Amino acid sequence: MLHIENPEYYTITLTVNGKELEKSVPSHMRLLDLLRNELHFTGAKEVCSEGECGACTIFMDSKTVNSCLILAVEADKSEIITIEGFPKENSLTELQQEFIDHHSVQCGYCIPGMVLSGEQILKDHENPDRMEIKKELSGNICRCTGYHKIVDAIEHAGHK
Amino acid sequence: MKYYTPSSLSELNDLFLQTNNSKITILSGGTDILPRWEEGITLPKHLIDLKKINSISGIVEHDNKIIIGALTTVQDIYKSELIKTKYTALHQAASQFAGVQIRHRATIGGNICNASPAGDLLPGLYVHNAMIELTGPNGTRKLPINKCITGVGKTTLNNNEIVSAVILEKTEELSVFYKLGLRQSMAISVVNFAIAYRQTSPNLFDLQSIAAGAVAPTVVYLKEFTKAVNEGLPLEKAISLIEHDISPIDDIRASADYRKTVLKNLLTHKLKELYV
Repeated sequence: MLHIENPEYYTITLTVNGKELEKSVPSHMRLLDLLRNELHFTGAKEVCSEGECGACTIFMDSKTVNSCLILAVEADKSEIITIEGFPKENSLTELQQEFIDHHSVQCGYCIPGMVLSGEQILKDHENPDRMEIKKELSGNICRCTGYHKIVDAIEHAGHK
Repeated sequence: MKYYTPSSLSELNDLFLQTNNSKITILSGGTDILPRWEEGITLPKHLIDLKKINSISGIVEHDNKIIIGALTTVQDIYKSELIKTKYTALHQAASQFAGVQIRHRATIGGNICNASPAGDLLPGLYVHNAMIELTGPNGTRKLPINKCITGVGKTTLNNNEIVSAVILEKTEELSVFYKLGLRQSMAISVVNFAIAYRQTSPNLFDLQSIAAGAVAPTVVYLKEFTKAVNEGLPLEKAISLIEHDISPIDDIRASADYRKTVLKNLLTHKLKELYV
């Protein structure tokens, strides 16, 4: 979290996981802090705080981004989807089911980011190969080093 | 910290005049600024976010030029067919630039203003002789990229100027980019370089220019070396001439000696690939 004396507040409107919200936020508040501390969507995690690890990955206007590198004020009028926004209507996405079937989850800390980056890969590539998946997952770190099964899950979801 | 989102260049210029002489930071993608704040650098009094200025975003063809708006993201550069076919070095650099999440936010204008010696888009811009368009209350001016970036984190931008666009001439020159990082993706370059060349006959190339990054305070042209190779000096003999233009340092990623040696080896290797 960033700190500042005499914060300036701004009102923003945004859609988070399908719900329209209006919030007053200090200009220095990061989007990650808004999501976790104010809106209680704790799926996005804070780990490195500098865009290296991808644990804070969310969708912003249909693109994966690191929410630790974005101010809440920058998210004005944007559409945010966190891992809580997947699945819709209480059913898992194909990719989430593949993560379960391939035992891709160890400690789980990186998984919200991994799933969302996986969804982005499936949007960008039809039937991605393992090299493509690894390259496109390079912004997400798993410190259990369980990459093999994560790549398996994405590869299988891409075959469908 | 006051936060502003001007929606046009004239609104931006008004803001510059209003906030005259106070601490302003310009925000575009934010992927280099926010980590610095996390490290404890004091936040500015005024933060001006450019992202609502639509006129400085996107890639357009104009007569014999390609104009890349400063807010164009690295991912948009990576995905542009025009950049891929005409300015291959830039495409290749964008494809190896950080990870997807950062590429979705980071902008070409930000990569220039950050003025990192290791900035991955820069060697490609140097070999394609990119002109940088700067805009402020006093109007617009254009500078060659090597006159715009002058040192580590240093540019010749005035306090109330922004980079508004990158202008590339249409060219028949071909180019390649190569980067060595400490791992394959999501790595800051230990060395990087771009080569622009012209194919004069099926197996013959004329080198136009070579620019190398992370081996001096700014990206540098390897002029002596390029000239010697074009004059027919064998690569093995010519390669030591790169030392005229580079001044690498030791840092956390590599030693100066390593950078020098690895640049010589990779450059020789890449040029042999071209010449075969």
